[in-house]
Amino acid sequence: MIALAHAVAIVLYLAAAGLAAIPFARPIRAPVRSVIWVLAAGIAVHLVALGDFVRIHGEPPLTGLGPAMSFAAVLVAITLLTVEALAREVSLTLFAAPLAALLTGFASLTGMVPGPEADGMRGVWLTSHIALSFLGIAAFATAAGAGVMYLVERRELKSRRFGAIFRFFPPLETLDRVNHVAVVAGWLALTVGIGLASSYALEYRTGHAIKMVWAYSAWLAVTALTIGRVVRGWCAHRAAMLTNLLFAGVVVLYIAFRVIDPLKGRFL
Amino acid sequence: MALIVAGLSHHTAPIDVREQVAVAPHETPRVLDDLARATGAAELALLSTCNRTEVYVVEGEEPAAPPIWEHLSLRLGGTADAAAYGYVRRDREAAAHLYRVASGLDSMILGEAQIHGQVRDAWEASRSTSRAILNRLFQSSLLVASRVREETAVGRGAASVSSAAVQLSKKIFGNLSGRRAMVLGAGDMADLALECLVSEGVRTAIVANRTYERAVALAERHGGEALHYDDCWTRLADVDVLLCSTAAPHPIVERAQVEPAMRQRGDRPLCILDIALPRDVASDVGMLDNVFLYDLDDLRSVVETNLERRRQELPTAESVIADEVEQYWQWLAGLAAVPVLRTFRSQMDRVREDELARALKKLAHLAPNDRAAVDLFSRALMNKFLHEPSVRLRAASANGHGLAIVDALRYLFALESSESGTPPDDTPNAEGR
Repeated sequence: MIALAHAVAIVLYLAAAGLAAIPFARPIRAPVRSVIWVLAAGIAVHLVALGDFVRIHGEPPLTGLGPAMSFAAVLVAITLLTVEALAREVSLTLFAAPLAALLTGFASLTGMVPGPEADGMRGVWLTSHIALSFLGIAAFATAAGAGVMYLVERRELKSRRFGAIFRFFPPLETLDRVNHVAVVAGWLALTVGIGLASSYALEYRTGHAIKMVWAYSAWLAVTALTIGRVVRGWCAHRAAMLTNLLFAGVVVLYIAFRVIDPLKGRFL
Repeated sequence: MALIVAGLSHHTAPIDVREQVAVAPHETPRVLDDLARATGAAELALLSTCNRTEVYVVEGEEPAAPPIWEHLSLRLGGTADAAAYGYVRRDREAAAHLYRVASGLDSMILGEAQIHGQVRDAWEASRSTSRAILNRLFQSSLLVASRVREETAVGRGAASVSSAAVQLSKKIFGNLSGRRAMVLGAGDMADLALECLVSEGVRTAIVANRTYERAVALAERHGGEALHYDDCWTRLADVDVLLCSTAAPHPIVERAQVEPAMRQRGDRPLCILDIALPRDVASDVGMLDNVFLYDLDDLRSVVETNLERRRQELPTAESVIADEVEQYWQWLAGLAAVPVLRTFRSQMDRVREDELARALKKLAHLAPNDRAAVDLFSRALMNKFLHEPSVRLRAASANGHGLAIVDALRYLFALESSESGTPPDDTPNAEGR
């Protein structure tokens, strides 16, 4: 059931991306309502999969690589749906929906097996930390997606090419605003999420050094961006460039830590 | 009952002819009355814009085109024959023509939107002489135009240099509302482009010109602020859009002037639209980070790309129109069949009654019951005879092939004289749409 629902969700996420890409094939507007409905259907099916996981294992899909990836994917899709439903603008689907499909596929391939779980208050603490941290990373990914689109469109505008990207990408200003909001939201979620993790580690004298190094690196990256945007007034090209560099750095660090992790399986 | 359109447009007539033939809004009622009298038409509508003057007619007994040409020739001063500049389209072609016109496919600038409102106004102005057929035609033309705009890209993208300037600025800043613009130069092009920017909500327009008085005049026209040309560089950091349109023979905006302003602006982009020829802005200015520089060729390229894309959408738009023309024609055929069928049946019934009366006179000995049986027999026989033709006529009307059969029926049974004229108007009025 979980595997089937995941497969259907992947198909729906990719279908939403396909619908959003229609303007590149024919010079008409993207079917905003259809994209939103297909995306919402994908999220609904994905939530069915996660609900089934909770029913079978009696715990939220937050521990273990597969469940966590699947949870992150649905968060990316929900963030995307919220942004697009509010803005009535679906070009971000081109990047974020395939990302959600990729994460879901990765979760299915890895196996939806829960990791070691803490009980009682420790369980609530741990669950809140993981949920908020994933939310923060999902927002960071959204900011990076908007940043990529900004850089692609800026390149087209600077080089005076007036093709499909010129016609169908949202204005640079809109992408910059999405980047700004996502960075600040990501910083808030990551700050609380990692704060909870730090308190948890101190309280229960537990922790995993590599995981903490990665988490603090991600938090520092988002914090630097937030300070840059809110305090120093970074915006536009600089903000998009730095968001992508820092997000790429966080992803590379994650992959490196996965490779060198001495406690295989404990690091997400 | 033929639907025709007779008129002339920018495709067939030069501007001086179109100017003379064009009917001003205040003249429309009188012209419609004159044409109605001259043509004896059942219905009439007049569409007159700067690019076309067309009369849509549901013909009466006589052909309507000759009196229309006569009237239009009179407007040309009687020295020229308007028919030489014009065209006549009939039936389906006439309906398709109005659908194309309303959708902007027949316009000088393909896909322009203004014609939609002009068709609506023409219909409103012709309400006194239009009935069911033309009301339905004009109403459906507005819906077809909306469908074409919705389902194709025929009306998308800027189609003039000044609107391309706005399109490019909006691609960078999104909404231009509240943005600041500075204009260098005070010529006609600057005036036009500034008008477009202000209409999009640009808040502060600063006009700088070597002749200060001209800058003041342009600034006043657009509610902006005038500057002496030498003072403009100090304000460059404050503006989002710089529009250059001077007659300077060499670049007047150099990298050295823009670079300090960009440092002051931080990361905020600056859009420079250079619509001067020769160019006002040195090309290396465009290499500065966050500067988006476009010259006249770029703007023309945007326009050309948009128009080409509009042209590519023509087959899709034409298929929408063909589909809608077919629907209109089915409706029209059905509408035409009903009164003819009614007349046909009542004429046959009169014949039956006459023949029955004659027969009963010879059969005076029959008892009342037998007379009633003969009457019943005559009715049943007539119904049997008329059943199949009626069913087939209705079916032909429903699939859009009824008009020829209706005409044949009229001719074979001489129904013209007894048939009532135009069917009742079942189209909602303009306010009720």
